Amino acid sequence: MKRLVVLLAGVLLYGGGSGLCAKTDLPSDSLYHLQARLLTQSAKSVGFDVNRGHPTLVSMFYASCPAACPMLITSMQVYESHLAPAARNRLRVLLVSFDAARDTPSQLEQVAGLHRIDLSRWTLASAPENDARKIAAGLGFSYRALPDGSFDHSLLITLVDRHGRVIATTTTLVNDSRFLAKLEEATARDEP
Amino acid sequence: MTPRSVPLARRTEASLYGLLAVALLGGSATAGDGNPFLPVTGSEFRSALPSGKEDLIKVPGFLLQEHPVTNAEFLAFVRANPQWQRGATPAAMAGGDYLSQWLTPLNPGSHDAESQPVTRVSWFAADAYCEAQGARLPYWYEWELAAAASPSKRDARSDAEWRQQILDWYARPASAPLPQVRQGIANVYGVHDLHGLVWEWVQDFNSLLPADADPEKFCGSGAQNLQQKENYAVLMRIALLGSMQATDTGHALGFRCARDLRNPQ
Repeated sequence: MKRLVVLLAGVLLYGGGSGLCAKTDLPSDSLYHLQARLLTQSAKSVGFDVNRGHPTLVSMFYASCPAACPMLITSMQVYESHLAPAARNRLRVLLVSFDAARDTPSQLEQVAGLHRIDLSRWTLASAPENDARKIAAGLGFSYRALPDGSFDHSLLITLVDRHGRVIATTTTLVNDSRFLAKLEEATARDEP
Repeated sequence: MTPRSVPLARRTEASLYGLLAVALLGGSATAGDGNPFLPVTGSEFRSALPSGKEDLIKVPGFLLQEHPVTNAEFLAFVRANPQWQRGATPAAMAGGDYLSQWLTPLNPGSHDAESQPVTRVSWFAADAYCEAQGARLPYWYEWELAAAASPSKRDARSDAEWRQQILDWYARPASAPLPQVRQGIANVYGVHDLHGLVWEWVQDFNSLLPADADPEKFCGSGAQNLQQKENYAVLMRIALLGSMQATDTGHALGFRCARDLRNPQ
């Protein structure tokens, strides 16, 4: 119990610190105003703004999803494969699971292995219901748990800039050339 | 003014059980504030939302605020949390119309306005308000369960007369000034204004439409899957909430908060 209290205090202090100081200079329309905690595939607790400073592809999924989510992950890999190596190195990818109960760090790590995901640039994470709901609300992503344990959910990929502002979205998993053009533009150069 | 609480005879045995549970768990139904969290008894019920193969949805007991959050209550929140005052809130958290009906960022207007439900609040603002009360927004199933109750029945949805009464409320012109909260008769749980006053945000508003549904086509294909087609009032809520973005605000869109029964603050 005591340990739990200390742990909670740590989380509160850390969360509060990163929340208040870092966000004051964010643009008004930045999604990084969202206060949400994520647990990554390496069991690290991070904020939704974990990739601040990098253009980032963001989407949501759940690991036990039979077909749609594997397609989503492959689709994001295909989009980034169109980039030149230097541009790809600037890009980050964040996949947030809304199934925190089942998508433990080790489960997420397994998904990463299965899809040969480059964990130097990709983050797989899960968020508890309230935080996942906030992130979904910010992205305009819709999901709903069904009684059989599966989820009904959007297939939506969002591209945000270094400051967390939405640049483009797509619901087309292959060959959305407009989306790809935005992605190329966003990763073309280092921040001035 | 209506009496502050429903006559005891109107409370079902089940809601008394809920009150008892709250007392035992050390929660307080009133806590001396003007918008108490009242117990709503858990149930298995048939939702208007399609739910796959299973017909009955299990909703555990929970606590729901007696009435929608008022302007006065929201004013206290923005005073304590200046980042949620009109003009200070990032565009990513609330649209340009946020609290635009207030005279100033710290003045909701006339004395009457204090007891009107607060509206033109984004989902993010409503969520933050509830979080500040150690609470959360109700889930859709919770809201729907509570809203199925009439003054005398926990599930009055098959009662044609009650249904018609609700539809009459909805037919009121949208331009009419918002009434104050707690003007009508409470339902069996002692909860007011679930129908007939404002639309209300729910925590999982972005789960209500099939994920890839086009809200504009909702009335065609999406609606075919909905259950209980005679419950237009509830279906209208689903259609409206499902088509909202979290930063949207509306002249008649407010909210109230809920808490888990097991974890009262």
